[in-house]
Amino acid sequence: MQDIINIIFNPLVLNILVNMAIFLIVTLSLNLEVGFAGIPQFGRMLAVVVGAIGAGAIAGRFMAFYYGLPWGDEYVDETLNFKIVSQINDHLVNSPFQSIMMLIIALAIAAALGGIIGYLASYPAIRLREAYLGITLLAFADAAQTIGKYYDPLAGGTEGIVVPDVFRFIGTGQIRFLGSTLIIFFIGFLVYLFLQSLARSPFGRALRAMRDQELAAKVYGKDIVKLRAQALIIGGAIAAIGGALWTLYTGSFKALTYNRVTWTFWPWAFMMLGGTGNNLGIVLGTLVFSTVRSLIYAYKTELTTYIPINPNWLEYLLIGLVIILIAMFRPQGILPEKPELPIPKKKIESIKASLSKGG
Amino acid sequence: MLRVYAVLVQLHSSLKFNYSGHERRFKPSLWEVMILIDIIMTAIGYSSSIALAAAGITLIYMATGTFNFAHASMTAWGFYIVFAFHKVFFKGLGNPYMYFPIAMLFSGMLGVISYYFINRWLLKKGADMTTLMMSTLGIDLVFFAFINMFADFLTYNYKINARLIVLKMEDIILGKIAGFPLRAITLVSIIMVIAIVAILQYILNRTKFGIALRMTIENPSLAAILGINPDLIYLASWFIGGALAGLGGAILSLVYSGTPSIGNVVIVPEFAGSIVGGLYSIFGSLLGGYLIGMSEYIVINLIGTYVSRNLVVYEPLIPLIAMAVTLLVYPQGLGGIDWSKVWAKLRGKKEG
Repeated sequence: MQDIINIIFNPLVLNILVNMAIFLIVTLSLNLEVGFAGIPQFGRMLAVVVGAIGAGAIAGRFMAFYYGLPWGDEYVDETLNFKIVSQINDHLVNSPFQSIMMLIIALAIAAALGGIIGYLASYPAIRLREAYLGITLLAFADAAQTIGKYYDPLAGGTEGIVVPDVFRFIGTGQIRFLGSTLIIFFIGFLVYLFLQSLARSPFGRALRAMRDQELAAKVYGKDIVKLRAQALIIGGAIAAIGGALWTLYTGSFKALTYNRVTWTFWPWAFMMLGGTGNNLGIVLGTLVFSTVRSLIYAYKTELTTYIPINPNWLEYLLIGLVIILIAMFRPQGILPEKPELPIPKKKIESIKASLSKGG
Repeated sequence: MLRVYAVLVQLHSSLKFNYSGHERRFKPSLWEVMILIDIIMTAIGYSSSIALAAAGITLIYMATGTFNFAHASMTAWGFYIVFAFHKVFFKGLGNPYMYFPIAMLFSGMLGVISYYFINRWLLKKGADMTTLMMSTLGIDLVFFAFINMFADFLTYNYKINARLIVLKMEDIILGKIAGFPLRAITLVSIIMVIAIVAILQYILNRTKFGIALRMTIENPSLAAILGINPDLIYLASWFIGGALAGLGGAILSLVYSGTPSIGNVVIVPEFAGSIVGGLYSIFGSLLGGYLIGMSEYIVINLIGTYVSRNLVVYEPLIPLIAMAVTLLVYPQGLGGIDWSKVWAKLRGKKEG
């Protein structure tokens, strides 16, 4: 028992767990856009960064305003920011109710911003196809990151900002991290349920019809423009929630630390490994990658004694190889996409039987 | 990169002090003119590097329909090969230009490996454009991992800092003006671009291979009927594309100081050059690369001088905006412009 507690409270394990939960949310949102809607979303980082800014800078300012603290330019000032945030934290630590409300408000702001980003992204998504669209979205994401990095009044620029800790009421030290990880896991689970029900709904089927045969979907009266925009809005909102949770968990925001490899290409790799278009596959893919990453992390020092290179590069090598091998040998992923049945299979069988009797 | 900003900021401050009150007359000193010339020369070297790599991206895209993200690491490998041979293996023997062919060959071989083991397989299976692009991202991550391992290897075995490379000082100095060295890279890079244009022009228009290449690009099945092996043509375009990336990286090594992740920085202007050039014309992409590279330096210089010095840091936005706007508004790019018509129009106006 003590061993298990030790393992759970190991900061490394916690780090892996929270990474897995966050990437699960981001990869699931990517799967909605790529797997279901067929939009080559190479700008996943965009919504993630915007969500992080929404939770870190905008919700943070709202909290400062709520508690009567300076919330203008002073809030992101590098000398004042941490003082203001520590005052907010003093308020939050004593009131679990307010903390939870603030968490919900932060996520709502992030989701709204992510949705707006998704709506804006639908402008090129209607005009461009395939790789051209992918590159355009990638350019947007990099541009947003550059602005976040250098425009100080937004979120502290290169210095970054400290973010109010809405999880502080859970406890101190490792308990705070464990509790917040559980909350993030729970939100990830909710996202999974939501997207799974979406996949089974008429909307999910319309998206897949659009992906497989756009003309046929049009013939059946589906508005392609609207469907694409809706998928991008929902996907953007969910990815923004992922970014917001990451920023709230780490307690700081720095645009510098967001890059296209971590927040776009890794989710792509997770998705391709698990199975594009299959939500359960996404969970599996993220789980596998998180475990392997944790193993590389855990045995870093041991590895360094055998090989004269930094084991960090093994991670890149591994993800690169997985992307290549999956693309070459198993494009459908570990768990291939299955047709989602709108009603239970038994019911379909009984309807079939009654039909054949009647005929 | 930061060093360049520092020089720019220094330059702008010195320019501002030279506005003499109400007259606002600009009297640059020799030193300031030299800094300006230095910036322009660096800009030319940088732009040549971007232009060559952009031409490589376009060639690979034209031949196989693959947007090659691995160009980032191929450029970085060209960069590191010149450094490793000049500084580490031969300890500053001769000059860095001697190792340019090795850099080209090495990156060309990376292209061959990418094609032969991965891209060929996917093309045969009829993979879609997104899968092709994603596979090159995987290739890029693998090459990126190897370049970092190589840098670690150099650091451990030769006790040299291989994670921050400065080769600028090793360049041949053509002469000095007021204590300012005139480095050879500007001239050499221009000569190399002209040579590449001439060689490609000759190969594409005069040799049997070039005609086969153009034919395969336009109509692969018809070319196959006439007994042209598309496999060989694709292999050749990956090799040439990779070699151009390697040459771009080699030139870059004498312009920029860099880290193993330099590829992630230059891939954006490279792609922008290729897209602004129109994606279906090698010479358009060379032009696009020059346009992007020069505007990164010169537009930011103008903005810094006339609008605000604080905006200088937004330099990475220029290629991104150019790329997005070209794709959304004018997807044919520069290569899509019929220059003979434009010329005729201009002439007609002059006459009329």
